[in-house]
Amino acid sequence: MTGLALTIAGQEMGLDGEGALDTGAAIEAFLKDVEMRAYRIALMGVRDRDEALDIVQDAMIRLVRRYSHRPSVEWPPLFFRILQNRIRDMQRRRTVRSRVLSFFGGTASEEEFDPIAEAPAPRNENPLEQVQADDAMQALERALDSLPARQREAFTLRNFEGLDVAQTAVAMNCTEGSVKTHYSRAVHRLREVLAGHGEEHWNE
Amino acid sequence: MSDEKDASRFERNTKRVFDESVAALDAATRSRLTKARHRALEELESPRRGWQWTLAPVGVGTLAAAALVVWFTIGQPPPATEDLQATSLTDLELLLAEEDLEMLDEELDFYGWLEEQPEFVTADDSVG
Repeated sequence: MTGLALTIAGQEMGLDGEGALDTGAAIEAFLKDVEMRAYRIALMGVRDRDEALDIVQDAMIRLVRRYSHRPSVEWPPLFFRILQNRIRDMQRRRTVRSRVLSFFGGTASEEEFDPIAEAPAPRNENPLEQVQADDAMQALERALDSLPARQREAFTLRNFEGLDVAQTAVAMNCTEGSVKTHYSRAVHRLREVLAGHGEEHWNE
Repeated sequence: MSDEKDASRFERNTKRVFDESVAALDAATRSRLTKARHRALEELESPRRGWQWTLAPVGVGTLAAAALVVWFTIGQPPPATEDLQATSLTDLELLLAEEDLEMLDEELDFYGWLEEQPEFVTADDSVG
């Protein structure tokens, strides 16, 4: 397992050795910085706003409760590791729930994704641009859905969250080599899938 | 143009699309995230729970999870959908995903939920 003792470049917050007051301010700044991206990542994973918010809050609480004493450079991979675990938990519960329902002849239709209901609220400044941006994001989400889970995680953490290879390895609990492989395959596959959805948009 | 440059441009564009979707989050969601953050920060002032309490249900929970896997893999009726293979692979991937002992206590809520499910109450349990 990749140890947390490894050197993680960047994202220094000047926390080590400082008091609890500084810890509180530093971890609040960290959470404030990542919360919206974390929510969007969770929403992509579970397709339900309330569940995504629950996941983010749970990840925040667990980070604060268990890892606030750790050096701040370790927070990003730890937070996203917790977040990914919670997303996976939710997906497992759905799998089990769906199997239970199908076993007893029911359906899980109430859990189907409604892209209109789940779409972010439109901004007013430029509706056309907003529609195009929403359309691009939906295409990207569909493309991400076609990836194996580990490739999707690697791409999400590296590209969306900006974790480096070492941080991503900690977040995914795998080797840096695996991260590189998953990420490279994810990029290759996404380019193939999205080529049919506005080539000029993705390669402009 | 090299494939490497194309890939790099593609990565920048996917990041931009993602960032735009984050920027488009509505005020209600932002407000709920702020509340969630404040709720999490309250933990800094809360006493920590003892680790013994978090480990206690692990044995029972693990047994319940194992029973669930056996039940669904052996006792499942023949599937009727054509995309069974893809679905099963996804399910298998989720159910058999590599577990992380260091983060095992993250799973406790799930095992607790499993134990509460009525389908695990056997006939013997229901007899007076």
